[in-house]
Amino acid sequence: MKRIEPVHVAVAETSVIVRSGLVAALKRLPDLTVQPIEITSTEGLQNCMQGHQPDVLIINPTFGGWFNLEEFKANNPQALTKCVSLLCSVTDSNLLKGYDESIGLYDDVETLNKKLVALMNIGEEETDGEQEALSQREKEIICCVVRGMTNKETAEKLFLSIHTVITHRRNIARKLQIHSPAGLTIYAIVNKLVELSEVKMNL
Amino acid sequence: MHNTSKYAPTDKMSDLICGDYTLLQVLSRFDLPLGFGDKTVQEVCQENEVDCYTFLAVVNFLTEENDRMEDNVQGLSMPSLMNYLKQAHTYFLDFCLPTIRRKLIEAIDCSTENKVAFLILKFFDQYAGEVRKHMDYEGKMVFTYVDNLMAGRDTNGYSISQFARHHDPINETLTELKNIIIKYYPSQGNNHLLNAALFDIFSCEQDLASHCRVEDYLFVPAVRKLEKEGK
Repeated sequence: MKRIEPVHVAVAETSVIVRSGLVAALKRLPDLTVQPIEITSTEGLQNCMQGHQPDVLIINPTFGGWFNLEEFKANNPQALTKCVSLLCSVTDSNLLKGYDESIGLYDDVETLNKKLVALMNIGEEETDGEQEALSQREKEIICCVVRGMTNKETAEKLFLSIHTVITHRRNIARKLQIHSPAGLTIYAIVNKLVELSEVKMNL
Repeated sequence: MHNTSKYAPTDKMSDLICGDYTLLQVLSRFDLPLGFGDKTVQEVCQENEVDCYTFLAVVNFLTEENDRMEDNVQGLSMPSLMNYLKQAHTYFLDFCLPTIRRKLIEAIDCSTENKVAFLILKFFDQYAGEVRKHMDYEGKMVFTYVDNLMAGRDTNGYSISQFARHHDPINETLTELKNIIIKYYPSQGNNHLLNAALFDIFSCEQDLASHCRVEDYLFVPAVRKLEKEGK
């Protein structure tokens, strides 16, 4: 089962052929939807890190002469970006320290997929299509949400911890692909979980 | 940049459009009228006093298959680019979204018995409000900031990085609305009107997404370059 929420991957490589090829392969991964952004210069990389930071940075260690991973991490201390080296030639393994993963020119789509899924920590259950139906508990939580109850109120009513309620809500959003309370309201009414009169109307 | 890009100033304007019809939107946002016969891009731009380089930068960015962080923003005309973005905002707020709303009303059964139709419309209105807020912010804060930057006036400590970090894509809620209609709207019989509304939503969604990418990958680097020059 393909995960729909896109993973933002920045590809920093100066060769247009290698870069476009990798981006094309990333778009074909079976388990992930990848939103790639190509980077062709050190300045471009800087721009990229100052805006929306990518989830993964795939970078040729020779990018910009020599890519200094330590300095990059020091300059972007807040970044959660995972760094992956893109090896196009034989490279001294000492120079690859600090990278979270490494991919080579001859990795196939399956290997790429496996490496990225592992990097993004996508568990078995998330890629498993069997569990897409809502549980009874999740339906109860939807009813509370569309009646305008807060997480705290929901937790008290259902005798759950707030933490559990939040986890349920995240799972609901993932299963239904609906993230807003307004969207959940429409879902709940169509599926007859609640009546229109019960819904808090200021959507 | 031009010699490595897909389209050059000497290409025929009509070839651009036939190659990718979504570029029609770019044309109107740059205030370029149709009816240009066999003229080249450069000629059409010159006649209409549009900066050809900036026009082609946007066109080439949008027609490239993958997004690329623009790092060669030398020569971009900031007023032209901002005017393009402003026109796009006007298009979304005053034309695109109202049109979708009208089509939705035509397509869904808005009688009082149909609760879902009513909710869908409310959902849409709320979304349109969000888009307006997003674009008003850009108009008030970002464009004013760039105007000040270009004029060398005081910018009150604002910087484009503040915008870049918090610039969230605005097409996601629209994606959700589309999913809700597709999955849960109980339509009866003939779907032509609903399909027409959905086609509009799909294309608006794509258009919004690429608009945001022009801002992130072309506009923001260009403003950063301005900031550096000012220092």
